[in-house]
Amino acid sequence: MVNSFSPGLVGKLAYALMFAGALVLGASGIGTFATGNAPMTGWILMAHVGSSGMFSIGLMIVALTWTSPVAQRGGISWLFYWILLLSGWLVIVSGVVPMTPVFGTHGQHLLYLIHRYSALVAAAAAVLHLLTCRSER
Amino acid sequence: MSSLLRISLLVALAALGRPTVSCAAEGLKTESRTPFRHVIPLRDVEGNQIIPAPEFDEQGKPQEARGNPFSIAQTCGRCHEYSIIGQGWHFNAARGNVKPGRPGEPWILTDPATRTQIPVSYRGWPGTFKPADIGLTDYDFLLAFSRHFPGGGVGEPAKDKIDTADVRMRRMLVTGAMEIDCLICHNRQGAYAHEARYKALNNENFKWAPTIASEVGVYGASRMAKTFADSWRPPRPAPTNLPPVKYERDRFDLANEVKFDVTRRPSPETCYYCHTSDSRVGDARWHSDRDVHMRAGMTCIDCHRNGIDHMVVRGYEGETADRAITDDMILLRARVFLRDDGQLKEADARKLAESQLRNELGYVETLSCRGCHYGSENPKFAGRLGAPHPEHTGFPPIHFEKLSCTACHSGPVPADTTQIVHTALAHKLGLPGPVRGEGTAPIIVQPVFLRDASGRIAPHKAVWPSYWGTLKEGKVRPMLPDEVTKASGDKFPAQPKDDVERDPYNTRPLTDPQIKDVLTLLSSGRTNGEAVYLAAGKLYRLDGGNLKSDEHEAAKPYTWALAHDVRSKAQAVGATKGCADCHSQDSPIYFATVTARGPVDPKNAVTKAQWELRGDDPKLAGTFAFTFKFRPLLKIMTIFCAVVILGVIVGRVAVWLGGFRNRGQSDTY
Repeated sequence: MVNSFSPGLVGKLAYALMFAGALVLGASGIGTFATGNAPMTGWILMAHVGSSGMFSIGLMIVALTWTSPVAQRGGISWLFYWILLLSGWLVIVSGVVPMTPVFGTHGQHLLYLIHRYSALVAAAAAVLHLLTCRSER
Repeated sequence: MSSLLRISLLVALAALGRPTVSCAAEGLKTESRTPFRHVIPLRDVEGNQIIPAPEFDEQGKPQEARGNPFSIAQTCGRCHEYSIIGQGWHFNAARGNVKPGRPGEPWILTDPATRTQIPVSYRGWPGTFKPADIGLTDYDFLLAFSRHFPGGGVGEPAKDKIDTADVRMRRMLVTGAMEIDCLICHNRQGAYAHEARYKALNNENFKWAPTIASEVGVYGASRMAKTFADSWRPPRPAPTNLPPVKYERDRFDLANEVKFDVTRRPSPETCYYCHTSDSRVGDARWHSDRDVHMRAGMTCIDCHRNGIDHMVVRGYEGETADRAITDDMILLRARVFLRDDGQLKEADARKLAESQLRNELGYVETLSCRGCHYGSENPKFAGRLGAPHPEHTGFPPIHFEKLSCTACHSGPVPADTTQIVHTALAHKLGLPGPVRGEGTAPIIVQPVFLRDASGRIAPHKAVWPSYWGTLKEGKVRPMLPDEVTKASGDKFPAQPKDDVERDPYNTRPLTDPQIKDVLTLLSSGRTNGEAVYLAAGKLYRLDGGNLKSDEHEAAKPYTWALAHDVRSKAQAVGATKGCADCHSQDSPIYFATVTARGPVDPKNAVTKAQWELRGDDPKLAGTFAFTFKFRPLLKIMTIFCAVVILGVIVGRVAVWLGGFRNRGQSDTY
């Protein structure tokens, strides 16, 4: 197997950006539920929405810069990478679509649930991907 | 027919009469949706049937059909459970048999001369005074508010419990009880003379009011009960039936019964006598679209229902917890069970009845906005009465936890400032008077967006208490207008006579020097507390001879949630500018100004933003609104990212699929 796992500086910075965004999102999102303060409101909600841009842009650049190297590299981090990409995409879509006049209350509620659970999957995948990348290096 | 024959026939019929409704007929029900034709005997307070004297006496001389006023309790109560009805929401404020529930519109004791407006309620809603707490007897309360008070409760104290030493309450031994007047609501539209009732009650003809207002009879003499009550002193026997009633013979049929055109289902126009509320004052009323439900053909009672207990559904979420099941209701239901099952023990029947009544309480919740449109906790009730299921497209569900339905759909469309609103109870709507203006006391404003008991933002009406009083240990005890007038003598600013026609409601605000003068007079010789005046959110007091005013807890507004008129989807908040209707830096729900209104110069009034009144964090409200400037950019950017990521995923999948296909092809070769 050719070991050419090198997303480059841009890719690494994007990964850092995505991870920073995910940290704020995770802390605000999961933290709200863990502390029994759901639904998220006020400053926490603003922090959550504000950091979503970091995550989205980061994930997009990661998708553009990491996909080929990861595909060539393979391994367990490959699996977590694709889980992260897919669940991250779901998180983004289920986060932005409720802000558009597309879905009614029922659809909105469904999107909310998708957002919640895909975010949990994405958070777990991000952590596991990071760990497995380091161990495979 | 000769007149002699006619007289003989009438005399014979009168003599025969119909025996007062036979016992067998009493308590019977039709239980049909077809209204029962109410041709019934009238009865006086003693239960005796009222039989008008024949038109001519035995000597052929004309005679009047004089009699005692008829009693609603005795007349309607023969078939309808008057005592149970008396526990209903409209009558039970002073009974204490129910929880006060969500604060509602209070009675407002208003006196333009002394610039007094005090929220009063027997229910003990925070911010109101119970009549006794400010020195009002039940009798004074009735005199002040009977124009819209439907009777019952404090209107009918037990005769033997009236203390003859109490110079106010003992008057009721002469004026009679103010029984529940069923006809106010149940007479068909237009058939009830509210103005006549108002005049009757002003003359303290309590017992006479239903007779006069239903136009069955008129006064048979010019001296009113008030005059007799003024001159009566115990231990002389009280004159109980003066003035006599002269009955309209045309209203009685040959059997001496009277037809009442009554309905189980009062029209909205009937309810509007007490429940009109309009912020388009004066001639601007024609601009009002009224409630969208009414426009769809519904009536008030489609949602605000009640059973025989007359516990009208108020329609707010969480109301079920505020309702009680009374022993009378259990007994009434248990009677039906006992009749249906002869083997059932009474105790078991009661248990069964109570259990059934408790289950039925759940239906109350289905008649709230949410209950009817969404189905509350039980979706099978969604769409009652054809209520459309709201789609709320593009409206994140978190808003349902933050806003009541009324926040977006009820009352006037929110604007930069609040509006003056007139209500029937506060402004005597329904009774003729000079055109009421924006300064007509009491001044009530809407919509004020506060949080309700569940923490949701909801529109409210607000009235700021205005009264003279005494401050002691941080609490203010109001002084009644009479007390203020006596104590202030001629120093109180009287309205110039030539100004009365221009300003019939005496709305000129008090100036600081006038307040100071009156406070100086009220302070002289006062030892039990400090004389103060409350108005427009502030407490005025003398400090070393100078007038000072500051915000004070007692001067805070009394507020109550409003629910009507409901506006359609297209007129709701959010329909015009979308999210920006609320999430912008000029959003009325957050940043409209609410100026305390009262009989003082508005320059001196407390002014606050909506967010401030409900205790929101100002930085949060401003910052949150500010972030919405970038919301479109965030959406575009996020959607772009999502599309690119999707492109990468799809592209990679395509590469894999291509790879698999190529591998398959090379395997084949």
